[in-house]
Amino acid sequence: MFFLKTLKALKAHGVMGINRRNADYVLKYNKRHLYPVVDDKILTKERAIAAGIHVPELYGIIETEKDFDKFDSIVDKHKDFVIKPAQGAGGDGIIVIADRYEGMFKTVSGKIISRDEIGHHISSILSGLYSLGGHRDRVIIEYRVTPDPIFKSISYEGVPDIRIIVLMGYPVMAMVRLPTRQSSGKANLHQGAIGVGVDLATGITLKGTWLNKKISKHPDTANPVDGVQLPDWDGFMALAASCYELSGLGYIGVDLVLDQDQGPLILELNARPGLNIQIANDAGLTHRCHAVERHLAALKKTGHEPETPEQRVAYAQKHFSQPRSIKPEDPPASPESSNSENPA
Amino acid sequence: MQSLNLHLKILIFILVSLGLLITGYQIVVLDIPVKEDETDDIWSLDAKFEFQASSGVPIKAQMFIPPLNQDYISLNESFISNNYGVSINQVQSNRRVTWSARRASGTQTLYYRLVLTKRYSTAPTVAPPPPARQPIVLDGPEQVAADALISPIRQHSADIETFISETIRRVNDITDDNVKLLLGGSASALDKARVIDVLLSNARIPLELVHTIRLESTANQEPELWLRSHNGERWLYYHPETGQQGIPDNRLIWWTGSQPLFNLEGGRQGRVSFTINNSEMNALRLAKMTTENRASALLEYSLYGLPLHAQHVYQVMIMIPVGVLVILILRNLIGIQTLGTFTPVLIALAFRETQVGWGIVLFTLITALGLSLRSYLEHLKLQMLPRLSIVLTFVVLVIAAISLFSHKLGIERALSVSLFPMVILTMTIERLSITWEERGGSHSFKVALGTLVAATLAHLLMTIPELTYFVFTFPAILLVLVGFMLAMGRYRGYRLTELMRFKALTQQG
Repeated sequence: MFFLKTLKALKAHGVMGINRRNADYVLKYNKRHLYPVVDDKILTKERAIAAGIHVPELYGIIETEKDFDKFDSIVDKHKDFVIKPAQGAGGDGIIVIADRYEGMFKTVSGKIISRDEIGHHISSILSGLYSLGGHRDRVIIEYRVTPDPIFKSISYEGVPDIRIIVLMGYPVMAMVRLPTRQSSGKANLHQGAIGVGVDLATGITLKGTWLNKKISKHPDTANPVDGVQLPDWDGFMALAASCYELSGLGYIGVDLVLDQDQGPLILELNARPGLNIQIANDAGLTHRCHAVERHLAALKKTGHEPETPEQRVAYAQKHFSQPRSIKPEDPPASPESSNSENPA
Repeated sequence: MQSLNLHLKILIFILVSLGLLITGYQIVVLDIPVKEDETDDIWSLDAKFEFQASSGVPIKAQMFIPPLNQDYISLNESFISNNYGVSINQVQSNRRVTWSARRASGTQTLYYRLVLTKRYSTAPTVAPPPPARQPIVLDGPEQVAADALISPIRQHSADIETFISETIRRVNDITDDNVKLLLGGSASALDKARVIDVLLSNARIPLELVHTIRLESTANQEPELWLRSHNGERWLYYHPETGQQGIPDNRLIWWTGSQPLFNLEGGRQGRVSFTINNSEMNALRLAKMTTENRASALLEYSLYGLPLHAQHVYQVMIMIPVGVLVILILRNLIGIQTLGTFTPVLIALAFRETQVGWGIVLFTLITALGLSLRSYLEHLKLQMLPRLSIVLTFVVLVIAAISLFSHKLGIERALSVSLFPMVILTMTIERLSITWEERGGSHSFKVALGTLVAATLAHLLMTIPELTYFVFTFPAILLVLVGFMLAMGRYRGYRLTELMRFKALTQQG
């Protein structure tokens, strides 16, 4: 009875399945008319800027084929930049230019491409090749994030990003997505990137998942992925929590990056975040989501004002802490934060 | 949330019970057969009444016809006669038809036809028990003979039932002098019945003569005489010559009493001959015919009320929810990935044209060719609409080529591919190639395989003839499906594939 056993074990772990995610969270907390805010990265960016939240600087937008004439003036002052579709998903259609070479452009992987090739790529984006519904799209040209050197040892090319699941403004789970050779520098799990869980309280990485398997070492660098302290973790948490006010969506995945110079930045929001984050954290989402829902219900009952982002972060860090397996040199975990997934 | 769940539960309950109730009503009350190939016996009874008309005299021909309140119900009753007036009247417990004409000459032939079936009959009305009777008074020697017979019968019997059996046994013993005397020389069944009647009347036991027709395919059948008596609770049937008790199932009562079958005025050499025919009829058509006689309009307003060509379309259409249900289960319960939501159903419909085996071969072939073309076009950097148009045209050409080849090879089956919906194939190719680009070859192969599996399953289910018949005849069953779909709409459990996906989480460490 493999299935029954697995089923019971998954239930006990509080692992969330797609059906539950859709029925209890995405459908319940995410109002359809708010989707454009997260599906269109330009809208997300505008909202974020208006709210004073850090995002990669927008260099320019190309809306029509004719607009391509503006391309040169947009990138004129910048040596490196990113071209991406405003409504793309899963990192498709993104070109990262790292340098110039003899009037041509050089991508991060060292490939030289001409202005015409970029023109064609932009035209494909505009025709909707990478957009969700296949309809016309816009092109964003923005600041190229320089990954913080902290990731050097556990990442292969590309820019690692940090995904935090936020329920009603409360961060519930986080992971770092590390590009691998297999994912050709992209930070997408289904393309072969690694997901590494992050302890919400401390920002220290846990073990990870790679292609639905548990791992503890990066396949390319062979360095352990756990035990890495992410810098400015509270900054990440605060940014993620504030995305609730920004988008109005109750259940989102917030993708952030850590820029060498600018610190944590919001890359994009996702209204249907994936579930592999559970494998990365070796923990189920359901218990944590229920805890947040109970907490909200209790607040409502006692007539409390909705909590501020700071209070929400504090709540999440207090209740959803998940220190990595204790090693001798680790300081003893405070009793308050030790694995209290199910506060009474 | 809780109220929504209750709301949903009530809704599901209402839909499912409504669907089941309507279907149950159709099956139990309307007796609509559950399987298409159910047939029922139909009996067609022809009574041919021939006689010679006497010239110059008005003709009045009367004949008993069966009562319509028996185990069988009549589908059709007709009186075929040229230039005769027809009227039906009730004579005691019998029905009688009267043909009348002012004048006629030569041989006259009148027909009575009754079409019967056993199914769908309501509970038969039982003839009321006869009133108590007075003894038939006989002349001197006959009364003595009767008394001589009755006293031993009385001794050898315990109740009405055994009394009648004993009487029949004795009357059939024609070596007995008393019996000989009472029969008066002739020993036909009718005479014996008369003697039995006399004897029983002396014991004040009611008796009725019953003229029956055997429901067997026969020509020139004679009505068979049976006797029946009432023991205060129910009718007891006896054969007047063998004494056999209990009437066989296939006997149909034509008339009761001692009167002859027909009565003719203004004619001579009257003769009635019976021809019984048996045929089988599709139970559903029968149900339609019999319900027309009744007040139920439900079947009349069913899909069978549509013109035939529309029925054919609906027979396909009404199965689409079943196909959709397959996709729903495969996707939400099992977790198979398919291309789009309902593309598999469309492909399943397309399989109708080609049959599954060919459908799969053609689908795979055309999709593979289309994908290779699509990947070549990718190098040319075309815009989306022109690219789609090219793929569509290519698909048409491939289909034409396949048809031509297969025709030359003598495989006519592949010709049907011409109706294989091309737009579905084109969109399939386009979406598959996008999936290929975005998620890689193995993923798109997985999706294509999932689509094909889902389409095949849906097709197989949608084309089960019994199921098609059932859903078409009892469309209310779709309400039950909707109930299930509603429940699935709030299903939060795991998908089967997720058990594999999250397996790592169940391991320790």
